[in-house]
Amino acid sequence: MKRVVFLILTLIASIYLTIIIANAGGLIDQIITSQIKYDIRTNLARTPGWSQLPEEDKTRILQERYNLTIKAKGLDKPFFERSIIYLYDALTLDLGRALFLTSASGTKQVSVIILERLPRTILLFTTGTIGYSILGLYLGLRMARRPGSIFDRITTMFAVITQAIPAWFFGILFILLFAYQLRPLGISIPFGGMVSVPPPTDPISYVLDVMYHMALPLFTWIFSIFGSWAYITRNLAMQSSAEDYVMAAKAKGLSENQIINRYILRPSLPPIITSISLSLISSWQGAIITETVFAWPGLGTLFYQAIESLDPPVIIGLTVVYAYLLVITIFILDLVYSILDPRIKVGIR
Amino acid sequence: MSMPGGLRDLLKAISSSKSGIIGVAILLIITGVSVFAIIFVPFDVVSKWNNPIFWLENPRVAAPEWVTFITGKNIPSTIRIPPEKFNKYEYYVEASGLKYITLDARFDFNYDDFPSELTVILYANYSKSRPLVTIKLVRPDTLEATLYKNVIDNPVVYFYISTDNAIKENVYNFLLILGTNTNRTIYPEKCLFAINNENMGNSNLAQILKGSYRIKIELIATDESDTANAEFISYGQVQGLAGTDYKRHDLFIGLVWGAPVALAFGLSAAIATSIIQSFLGALSAWYGGIVDEIVQRVTEIYMILPFLPFLILISLIYEINLWVLIVIIIALSLFGGVTKTARSVTFQIMSEQYIEAAISYGASKLRILFLYIMPRLLPYIVANIVLAVPAYVFLEAALSVLGLGDPLVPTWGKIISDAYSSGAVIHGWWWWILLPALLIMITAMAFALIGYALDKYANPKLRER
Repeated sequence: MKRVVFLILTLIASIYLTIIIANAGGLIDQIITSQIKYDIRTNLARTPGWSQLPEEDKTRILQERYNLTIKAKGLDKPFFERSIIYLYDALTLDLGRALFLTSASGTKQVSVIILERLPRTILLFTTGTIGYSILGLYLGLRMARRPGSIFDRITTMFAVITQAIPAWFFGILFILLFAYQLRPLGISIPFGGMVSVPPPTDPISYVLDVMYHMALPLFTWIFSIFGSWAYITRNLAMQSSAEDYVMAAKAKGLSENQIINRYILRPSLPPIITSISLSLISSWQGAIITETVFAWPGLGTLFYQAIESLDPPVIIGLTVVYAYLLVITIFILDLVYSILDPRIKVGIR
Repeated sequence: MSMPGGLRDLLKAISSSKSGIIGVAILLIITGVSVFAIIFVPFDVVSKWNNPIFWLENPRVAAPEWVTFITGKNIPSTIRIPPEKFNKYEYYVEASGLKYITLDARFDFNYDDFPSELTVILYANYSKSRPLVTIKLVRPDTLEATLYKNVIDNPVVYFYISTDNAIKENVYNFLLILGTNTNRTIYPEKCLFAINNENMGNSNLAQILKGSYRIKIELIATDESDTANAEFISYGQVQGLAGTDYKRHDLFIGLVWGAPVALAFGLSAAIATSIIQSFLGALSAWYGGIVDEIVQRVTEIYMILPFLPFLILISLIYEINLWVLIVIIIALSLFGGVTKTARSVTFQIMSEQYIEAAISYGASKLRILFLYIMPRLLPYIVANIVLAVPAYVFLEAALSVLGLGDPLVPTWGKIISDAYSSGAVIHGWWWWILLPALLIMITAMAFALIGYALDKYANPKLRER
């Protein structure tokens, strides 16, 4: 129970902090209001007959329009009051309307904008996360079987080096390789966007086209992470294989596969499950720079667009969704562990 | 259970592992390059890098010179004929009141490929009226192409032969006279250096004409005191050790200067965040109770906050330079994963007897924290610093790729981002991306290898169970 209260408090605090920072403590309000004032003035100046109006009429109309727009955007209340309203809306998952960004269908509803992008990010990054988890798990267990072998040492070195280099960086290098250096060989893999322009009309070739565009970013994502996954799995498996019961199982003459499945993999599963579920959730957030490098129109790009166009509701919306997912997952993991392992009790850490 | 001891053990761990030795060796080389850059390339990077005039004599996007050895092809490098190498003949005709000046220079062009650009710079000195200038190129096959014939507008004129439309028109006429009609775009630097055949106007098929060329500039001025000097640059396709970029920067200078910037940036951010996070972890474990509770909760809040988006947002709203960026990074990572690990390491330290002894002789809590616990945490902190450096070097590069880095200092990340946004990937200007990328990767690798040697200090739980 104490754990739940703390998780909720953590959630509230982090969302409120997000609201403050995403609005730059109210600074973005100033930027937006002065932008609105400027827009109204230039719009009115272009209206025929505006210059003939007497000065007091001009000021009055300007002020009226300004007040209306400010009110429509909800900027008339002081920032502190609004931040509390934002917090309440965010916690009740009422994500509100974006200030500038629109979805492809034309609405400004933040939830629609996010939902429109989410499948694309899931398609790329969740597939990738599942891919490198499985690959890493398989390789890690193989490495742990014969620690110190050449295979183990090479994979470890690969892991040590790749884990220091981010995916987007490999992305740029692979784009250079596939977009240019291999072109004379007749290999051309698309390195940007999600579909060809114009997109194919019939569904089958559309799916094929998306998969074709997905190939390079997916490969990059898996390539840059599976090494460190294998290494983590290896270390966990090594820990459990040093236990006495593994020795006993070996002495009993069980086959290597049986030992791995029953005695090594199972006790290492909790930390592996934790890492996989946490990286799955963060994969839904997309990767800002990797998506930007590959021009992949997912949540990462949306995050960047929102920041670039100073659109706090979208930034807050994305963070709120992520925070909720994270907190709920942590809670479920805690619950699952207390069921799996009676030594762990929820609430005591 | 034995906790790894002090810094001496740390050095031993590095020197006894192959990866540690390799990592240190690479790091020493990079440090050497940094020192070399600071001492031997006396170069005011920030102001010079952003001054286009300083780089005017370099070719645009030229490959590194060593490409010549790999391809076995004699790729042209830049030929510059300075004013003093021009032969100058001048005479004044009293009767007509005209002064004739001829500037004449020869150069050998024996490369296997065309120059990338041609430029003539004319420094004229006239008192009354503007002189009439004729620029001619005499080829080894004795053909003579008139590039320019007009009155000049300024005392110093840059004739961009490869891009100037009037000059292109003249080159087109030159081709027409030779009987080569073409409706393709004219590339003067290719046509003028091509063998006279039907492919002369075709930039893809034209063949290079080797031999001795002559550039001839004739002026007709109106005053006896009028004079002129000229400079000719045939830009090559290779330059220096690292090539050049689109703004003609010598990338070698940028890359060499990138080393100290990257090291300073990565190290200072890593050192500050590791020390702060470890200290808070130790504080949390040692004081326990409400302090522990607060630090733990704040750490969890910090772990939910989207670090990169906030960093991007802040660098977008405020114009920040590299060093302010470090401060913001530190502020955004006061708490984090290291806090949690440091806390559990501190719990282990606390159970040791010398802490008990310290308590029993009445040492204050603060004294024990700083003099008994923190020194024992040092190996862990150092290992973390080493492991964190690559992440910060890449973070700077990532912000540069998004266009939010320091706009003035040439960092490796900024060079890559410039290359990326100029389409170097698509045009195949590989050196512009690959060389800085290699340097970043090698630097990251050095730290990763040392970090691997220190693995048991950075992940104390991993080895002890």
